[in-house]
Amino acid sequence: MMPANILELNHVHKSFARTETENVTQALSDINFTVRDGEFLSIVGPSGCGKSTIMRLIAGLIFPTAGTIKLNGEVIQGTNPERGMVFQKPTLFPWLTVEQNLTFSARMMNTAKRSEYKSEVERLLEMAGLAEFRHDFPHQLSGGMAQRLALIRTMINQPKVFLLDEPLGALDAFTRMNMQDELLRLWQRSGHIVLMVTHDIDEALYLGTRVLVMAPRPGRIRADLVNDMSYPRSRTSDEFLHWRKRVLEMLDFGHNFN
Amino acid sequence: MERNFNSSDVLDHLTRERLAELESAPRRGLRLFCDYLVCFMPVVFGALALAEYLLVPNLKGNTTTSTYTYFIIALTLTAAAAFVLALVRQKFFYVLRHKAPFYAFVFALLAGYDYMTLKTGTLVLPYFPWADQILNAMWQDRAYLLDCTLNSLKLLFTGYFSGAFLGLLTGTACGCSKTIDYWVSPFTKLIGAIPSPTWIPIVMVIASSLFAGSVFIIALGVWYALTIATITGIRNIDHSFYDAAKTLGAKPHQLVLHVALPFAVPNILQGLTQGMSSACLVLITAEMVGVESGLGWYVSWQKSWAQYGKMYAAIVVLCVVFVAVNWGLNKIRRRLLRWQEGVTQ
Ligand SMILES: Nc1ncnc2c1ncn2[C@@H]1O[C@H](COP(=O)(O)OP(=O)(O)O)[C@@H](O)[C@H]1O
Ligand SMILES: [Mg+2]
Repeated sequence: MMPANILELNHVHKSFARTETENVTQALSDINFTVRDGEFLSIVGPSGCGKSTIMRLIAGLIFPTAGTIKLNGEVIQGTNPERGMVFQKPTLFPWLTVEQNLTFSARMMNTAKRSEYKSEVERLLEMAGLAEFRHDFPHQLSGGMAQRLALIRTMINQPKVFLLDEPLGALDAFTRMNMQDELLRLWQRSGHIVLMVTHDIDEALYLGTRVLVMAPRPGRIRADLVNDMSYPRSRTSDEFLHWRKRVLEMLDFGHNFN
Repeated sequence: MERNFNSSDVLDHLTRERLAELESAPRRGLRLFCDYLVCFMPVVFGALALAEYLLVPNLKGNTTTSTYTYFIIALTLTAAAAFVLALVRQKFFYVLRHKAPFYAFVFALLAGYDYMTLKTGTLVLPYFPWADQILNAMWQDRAYLLDCTLNSLKLLFTGYFSGAFLGLLTGTACGCSKTIDYWVSPFTKLIGAIPSPTWIPIVMVIASSLFAGSVFIIALGVWYALTIATITGIRNIDHSFYDAAKTLGAKPHQLVLHVALPFAVPNILQGLTQGMSSACLVLITAEMVGVESGLGWYVSWQKSWAQYGKMYAAIVVLCVVFVAVNWGLNKIRRRLLRWQEGVTQ
């Protein structure tokens, strides 16, 4: 059996230099949390509270000003496909076809020749409903298809940590709810760590086993809630609505509801 | 007009042409007849141009040969063959329908020019020889003209490709590294501000061989165009592409090769086109003032002997060569920019 993966953030601070003034912006202040295999961590909070910054730190795109981020005891040194990230925009390469986008990572790491790789490509294309569009270019895809491709492009590396930064933010309500179910299935099958930023509280509650509520200026964790509702969850159950109220109040909304 | 499709099978297996056909207004009856008539127009105008040449009496003293007759007949037959092909090939029909009016116009231009020179002398010799004279000059001097063409092309492409290659390298290096850009860009700006032909007299004196000197000047213009285009292309890239590529395991050199450069391809192709026009300009100028071979040299040489027929013959060859080169470049460009279709247009 593989040892379980564990991601730890210890006293993480992050500040950014400002271009016009001498000041620096403190984006994150003293962030601490630990996530293990099988956990789905939803992160909610007002815009500008440092949600994307957390994702980019874990991805290794930027480095903390203070504190450490460790995956399985090792400090994160930079990007690595074991920590896959999906962005709000699909960031598909417009000059590559659907299939070439999917195999980009393998070509970068010279793993495309492995025999099991080909069947994996087929399986993912089928699963995302993109098999017949494999020779199309990204601009020919709908928003949902593009985001599904971005998802499987990261998934093909079977990341230990799956970082989703508002991946469904730009989609319409129907596509969004379908994709939420797809995400749940993917996560349940892989059993790995998923961290997902969202500005939609329903989405956070529908998906996450834990909900991290953040506060801005400087970005910090206001609450780390364990969401023990059983799957599949109903968006209209009393329990769900109760959870919703709790989180809204924590974000300083919803006072007028009482 | 309503269209009914009982079988969805028809719609499931559409080709591009069939799609265009379905979505455009249906052409039938008189409209269709008119379309075919338009496709036939070049043949009619070709016959008219021929009739003009053979039937209208020449201005007194002007002599002609049958070279132009054969030339016009050959062109008219080509137009006729195109018409026949359009009858059997749907796809070609649309192409010809689009181009035919212009081809007809070309025949009209030829006939008009012939009338103004050979028939009436409105445009006088020796500055305006008629087409028959130009064709004969071209045919008589064909071996030498071919030689000159090959020399020109050799010079053009040697300069063009070395300049393009170096420009691509410089542009990539400057686009990806701030340090390199800091040291190189002042020189780029300085050299770019000076029109390439300015260098010709200097280089002609310094260079060990005229050929090497000309290659250098041609390459300089292309190098500048490519450097600027590549830098612009790479600078414009959205950084989220780099972020995505990095999380997918791309190493720094792969970011350059697989992200920055492909992203800059539209700009690079634009730079290549721009570089080609600068290269052609420098080529002809260099040949006219120094290099003793090539079409530019041939033109100025014949002009100094008042051989205007030969001069025009070389100019016609020049036009054909440059049009062909640019056509080839455009083909490559279309091919490489398939992914942009619909994004930019
Ligand atoms: N690259 C950067 N340079 C400067 N400031 C940044 C940068 N990235 C983020 N910030 C600042 O950090 C704070 C948090 O940003 P972000 O993580 O994007 O917030 P969120 O994703 O929660 O909306 C904001 O105040 C933002 O202005
Ligand atoms: Mg964000």
